[in-house]
Amino acid sequence: MSVFMDLNVLFSPDRNRLQGVIETAAHLGFSTVAINYVFEPSSKKKQEVPVPCPISELIDQLPVVQGRSRPIRVLNRLTVLMSDSSHFRPSAPEYRRFDLLAVQPTTEKLFHAACMLYDVDIVCISVTEKLPFIFKRYTIANAVCLMDSCKGKNVILSSAAEKALELRGPYDVTNLGLLFGLSDGDAKEAVSSTCRAVLLHAETRRTASGIIYTSRIQQEALHDSDCRFRLT
Amino acid sequence: MHAVDQKEESVFQRVVLKNASPFHYMKVHLVLENETTRLTAVELKHFIISGLKTLHGEVGAALNVDVLKYDDDTLTALLRVSSRGLVKLWSSLTLLGSYQNQACAFRVLQVSPFLLALSGNSRELQLD
Repeated sequence: MSVFMDLNVLFSPDRNRLQGVIETAAHLGFSTVAINYVFEPSSKKKQEVPVPCPISELIDQLPVVQGRSRPIRVLNRLTVLMSDSSHFRPSAPEYRRFDLLAVQPTTEKLFHAACMLYDVDIVCISVTEKLPFIFKRYTIANAVCLMDSCKGKNVILSSAAEKALELRGPYDVTNLGLLFGLSDGDAKEAVSSTCRAVLLHAETRRTASGIIYTSRIQQEALHDSDCRFRLT
Repeated sequence: MHAVDQKEESVFQRVVLKNASPFHYMKVHLVLENETTRLTAVELKHFIISGLKTLHGEVGAALNVDVLKYDDDTLTALLRVSSRGLVKLWSSLTLLGSYQNQACAFRVLQVSPFLLALSGNSRELQLD
């Protein structure tokens, strides 16, 4: 059976609210959820990239996904709002703490650069910018345009939910994909296999094509700390 | 005698039905921010039609949606819609976000073209 993922759950400092969202997501059937930290660098004042809160601090026991025997998997994602090409620094060390990297370009040139050059997992398009629901027609129009231009491939749909009530089940989201102009198969893939492809891409990005990764092991006797390479 | 000896030739006819059922049935549960709010069946139907109208306009509002069963304690309803209108109804239920200024969500529990299929739900089985 396919795993469903929601790769955009907005981070809120309220622990209870975030816990409620994760529990609702597990109840609805999502196997993986990514907590999204939005970062908007501005050239005026020096801002620090947010540090992700460790999952063990957020929630004590991860709830079991409905219909499976495993607990839900929670990842950390960073979205960088880009209005200038200097905003995103490709190998900044602060980015290493996040499992997924996303970029939200605001101009077409940046969008082109993001798709071709930057080493990110997700290029984010905001079809609605917290406008009142009267503007919903633009959401659907923009989404249909997007699906047209990319022929419906490599698209993921996610919730950007802040509250548990804003989440929708995986089949509901699949149905919405139909509304946005995706075909039946593409709509279901947008919630399942394309999301899994994003996670695999993130892993290869972090570990130099998935071959070598470094891990620090505890040194009891040795005084100098050195990292060992392990080949997988 | 002659009839017993002779093998009867059986003729097989294969019938494949696509979209055999003209209706689709959905079991839905309405979750509201304020858990003590109650709706009557008429209010629920009005709410669904208003959602259809917001998203799909007059054509959506003209869709034949019937509330077959409604439990007002648990806010669970059994809806029937013609098969052509399933995508419209399901998408407008998904996008309905607020009822009388409180946040709400429609959780779709089961969908099937056959009403009998809604009697059993494998999601309610306990996994040990």
